Amino acid sequence: MNKKSILAPFKGWKYLFKKPVAIPMDDIFKNPRESQDNYRGFHINDWETCIGCGTCAEICPTNAITMVERSDVEDVEGSKPERPVIDYGRCCFCGLCVDICTSGSLNLTKEYLYNSSEPEDYLHMPTSEGITGKEYKLGYIQDETSDLLDLERKHMEHVGAEKRKSSFIEIVRGFSKEQALAESARCVDCGICTKTCPANMNIPEYIKSVWEGNLEEGLDYLYKTNPLPSVCGRICTHECESVCALSHRGDAIAIRWLKRYIVDNMPDDKYEEIVLSQVSKKGEGKVAIVGAGSSGLSAAYYLATLGYEVDVYERKPMAGGPMRYGAPKYRLPDAVTDHDISFIEKLGVKIHTNTDVGKDITLDELKKTHNAVFVSTGYPDTRALKIPGVDHKDVKMAMSFLAAATEYERGVAAMPDIKEDVVVVGSGDVAFDVARTLIRFQNEKYGKMNVQMLALETAQQVPATPEEVTEGVEEGIHMNLGFGPQTIQIDKESGDIKGIEACECIRLFDDNNRFDPQMDFDAKMCLETQQVYLAIGQVSDLSYIPKELQDKITIERGKIKVDAEGQVDGASWLFAGGDIVHGMDIINGVADGHRAAVGIDKYISKNKK
Amino acid sequence: MNNNIETFVEDIKSKYETLGVDIPKNNQVSLDFTARDIHSVLAYAKSHGWAQLSMLTCVDWIEENKLQLVYLLFNWENGVRLQVRTKLDRDKPVFSTITSIYPGAKYYERDVHEFFGVEFEGNPESYKPLFLENWDDMPPLLKDFDPQAYSDEKYPAREYEKDFTKKAGEK
Amino acid sequence: MKEIKLFLGPQHPGMHGNASIHMYVDGDIINRAYLLPGMLHRGFEKSMERRTWMNNIALIPRICVPEPDTNEMVFAMNIEALANVEVPERAHWIRMLILELARLSAHLMAFGGCGGPTGLYTAMYWAQADRDLILTLFEEITGQRIYHMYIVGGGVRKDLPKGIEKKILDFVDDLERRLPDYEDLILNNPSILARIKDNIMLPAEVVWELGVTGIGMRSATGLEYDLRKVTPYARYDKVEFDVPTATYSDAYARLNIKYLEMYQIIRIIRQVLDMMPGGKVRAKVAEGSALRWRIPKGQVYSAVEASRGEYGYYTVSTGETMPYRVAVRGASFPQGLLGIEKYLPGHRIDDAPLWFDTMGVCSPEIDR
Repeated sequence: MNKKSILAPFKGWKYLFKKPVAIPMDDIFKNPRESQDNYRGFHINDWETCIGCGTCAEICPTNAITMVERSDVEDVEGSKPERPVIDYGRCCFCGLCVDICTSGSLNLTKEYLYNSSEPEDYLHMPTSEGITGKEYKLGYIQDETSDLLDLERKHMEHVGAEKRKSSFIEIVRGFSKEQALAESARCVDCGICTKTCPANMNIPEYIKSVWEGNLEEGLDYLYKTNPLPSVCGRICTHECESVCALSHRGDAIAIRWLKRYIVDNMPDDKYEEIVLSQVSKKGEGKVAIVGAGSSGLSAAYYLATLGYEVDVYERKPMAGGPMRYGAPKYRLPDAVTDHDISFIEKLGVKIHTNTDVGKDITLDELKKTHNAVFVSTGYPDTRALKIPGVDHKDVKMAMSFLAAATEYERGVAAMPDIKEDVVVVGSGDVAFDVARTLIRFQNEKYGKMNVQMLALETAQQVPATPEEVTEGVEEGIHMNLGFGPQTIQIDKESGDIKGIEACECIRLFDDNNRFDPQMDFDAKMCLETQQVYLAIGQVSDLSYIPKELQDKITIERGKIKVDAEGQVDGASWLFAGGDIVHGMDIINGVADGHRAAVGIDKYISKNKK
Repeated sequence: MNNNIETFVEDIKSKYETLGVDIPKNNQVSLDFTARDIHSVLAYAKSHGWAQLSMLTCVDWIEENKLQLVYLLFNWENGVRLQVRTKLDRDKPVFSTITSIYPGAKYYERDVHEFFGVEFEGNPESYKPLFLENWDDMPPLLKDFDPQAYSDEKYPAREYEKDFTKKAGEK
Repeated sequence: MKEIKLFLGPQHPGMHGNASIHMYVDGDIINRAYLLPGMLHRGFEKSMERRTWMNNIALIPRICVPEPDTNEMVFAMNIEALANVEVPERAHWIRMLILELARLSAHLMAFGGCGGPTGLYTAMYWAQADRDLILTLFEEITGQRIYHMYIVGGGVRKDLPKGIEKKILDFVDDLERRLPDYEDLILNNPSILARIKDNIMLPAEVVWELGVTGIGMRSATGLEYDLRKVTPYARYDKVEFDVPTATYSDAYARLNIKYLEMYQIIRIIRQVLDMMPGGKVRAKVAEGSALRWRIPKGQVYSAVEASRGEYGYYTVSTGETMPYRVAVRGASFPQGLLGIEKYLPGHRIDDAPLWFDTMGVCSPEIDR
């Protein structure tokens, strides 16, 4: 220990002329010190990037953030017209709002000085300008370590390509309980998906039910807007996932697989209880439905819950439409479709199969025996391609081939006539269904495969869902993209197809973004093949509607004009939905059916009075 | 955990009716007893090296209708911490003081009384208010006390008039 | 003389935090005294039950102003024990860096703080200025000067900023050079020694009676009872440091230990910076977004050696998104409540704040 001296403390005098650590009072406002790089100061929010999801308000530990709807922000899909308002009387500058921001629009700056005697002034809606309108450098920002979202989707088990390409077993295995819990925990409950879903399903609500382990409640949410949850849990186009708040910086929530998890894990007795509990009133009347696809079945279900007697007419031997005769069984097993339809039937819906409206029974007859008629006859036929040689017997149409294929799979028909080398024209989901079914048939019949795909679109333009493309290529489809078929070459001696000639497509859309392909006729190529499968789109068949009625209603490009609740312009007793109104999509069909059921209920109730 | 601890736990188990044993983390053992054994267990532990009462606290298991007392003991010689726990009837939470074993418990008991309503017989000052001046509601750390409702009633929130729905200056 | 009642605090330059000591004095001798906490009106423990595991990070550092990081550390340790999460190696070392810087800042505040009750304001100013330099380091690492909200379950919230190592080293080098000036100013100052030598005693038996920990315990018992040694957390078992002790605990001994510990802190900080590994700094504690983190069921207590002694949280989880119960063991509780009631009487009025300071009492952690 140093010797104690009365003088020891005076050593401190040597600091008398050193620069002090403290900042002079005068400089605090006039010449403020710049804060450190990581500083958690006032917020800024980039309105262009902000999607108004409200996750910042959700996590705020001091309830300082409120979402306020702005009249000058457009209400578009994938966002909400809301922006956060921060109460700096409550804010504690923790920065959790920045860490969890789904779009990365919200950040903190180095700005830390603000003063006002007016309490109102502490309420602030941050923009890219700071609270005082001056420019400040960014302070605390989100990074990989501080991120509070779980950006990675839980892995979904798939059957491997080698195993699946020679069989029709279902490819997607479905989530286990742990996976479903983990996946549902990623959701931030913003509800942006609901607006985009054609059926406006209660998506955040049923995801929360999964997370809480309350599948009964989850199923109840599903049936409120969708009576085909098992089917949609497998083959829905899941537009919701494309707008998911999580998709801005990471993987969207696997909404479709979570839906499937609910339906796959509910015992049948509970299922029945929930489905039957949806019945809300006892309506009086009978409704006829033409076509048992998604739209027709959905209308049937919701009409039944409103107490109506429902007759569904289907010309095929089984109900389901494209779910039955289009979707390959490796995506949608028959048992799944049976499951959903059986609960619709439990509500008393009568499905008359093998009954072709227009032939076995006329629309007029249905009108006479029922209070209203709903038509949802879909797009059963393949769009024609007008090139030389297309009338050859080995040029096959996608829809009829897929129908024949599903009949073979369920053992009621022989395998369609498949050749060893085939070309599929088109690159949509249906083209992939055809190609991948062909792979399985070839492997079964010949023990080897050769399926080529020919399409106008380039890899970026392919309309099929990405997983179809990935899985199709994994299974061995050879893609020829950016070429348009010109001639189907026929061997003069044998009369068989020997190849298909194509030209390079140099432009697909015109300047107005309209489909208008242009070819370079000098850049030719020829694919050797024995069969050609056309899958370039589908068309409706409205021949069952009598001429007089067709004249009264409006049909444009094969689509029937209806009002918001599916009522056909020019025939108040007639309602329409599904493909023939909105184009091909199961979930749009479900939504149309639901809306039409509401419309029909109003129509019948009004006519009663 | 070393052998001494296992021996100690076995020893305790042979002497007292142990309702549960858990090792929530390294060097920590939780032991559940009936209320009547707590004093003997604490005295026994103290005489075996657990000289320090780090804390006495309480957990409200409202669904079971129990209040759980947790005595946290520490042994500086071997670094082992004990959670000695017991559950009391929530409707009539009465226990007796441990200040004769750990005098430092005096204020912890007062704290638990104030926030959970547990009465400690033999600690006359435990009934006095400590933190909560002029408190007029149930003990606030009980699960059925709703602080939001209490604060909403006593301290109304400020109403702001500022309108953010439009651009500034727009009508 | 007639006994009169005198309040020390809640606002008083010698009072640390907002609490009040009610003293009944006879002349300038305290006859009876007790602490009246509750001035902060906070209810942390209740609030913590109503916030998610992540949101609590915005709340818990506020329990102790001079050394908030211990709160974050024990809360994080409990989450990690319950969720069985392995903290990345680098995060352990960053945590030690943060905890030691915080200890240094708290020691400076308390060591210089003895200037308040003794009239030696230079000590306070020096210590506050040096503490401010540490706060600037914190500002750069964590984004805030006081409430860092940095140590979180699974690791730390962000990696260290580039170049911070040199700034820290420069600071500790500078402080180490100037520590002897502090010694001369306070510990070698005859006018201070007159106040702190053989005054405000803490006998070993009182340590055990009250359950005093930290410097109080080590200054009285001569035992190296420091949680960093007895139950090492983070990577304290990988660094070398001494635990200063004494067997005669007057105010001088406790201040002197605080002074000696500052050298040990600097020694640890240098080793930590030297041995700092690379790699990730945060592990996931639960599935999903922070809004839906669930921590598995359990009841666990974790404690660290704070500047004032054993600082711990008892956390109860029922497997939900929010803690079911969190109980805070503030290091000041035993000496701040029972200690004042039993052992402050007999002292002079002007020694009361000094008693408060050198016993390591920080009222916010009592009043939680």
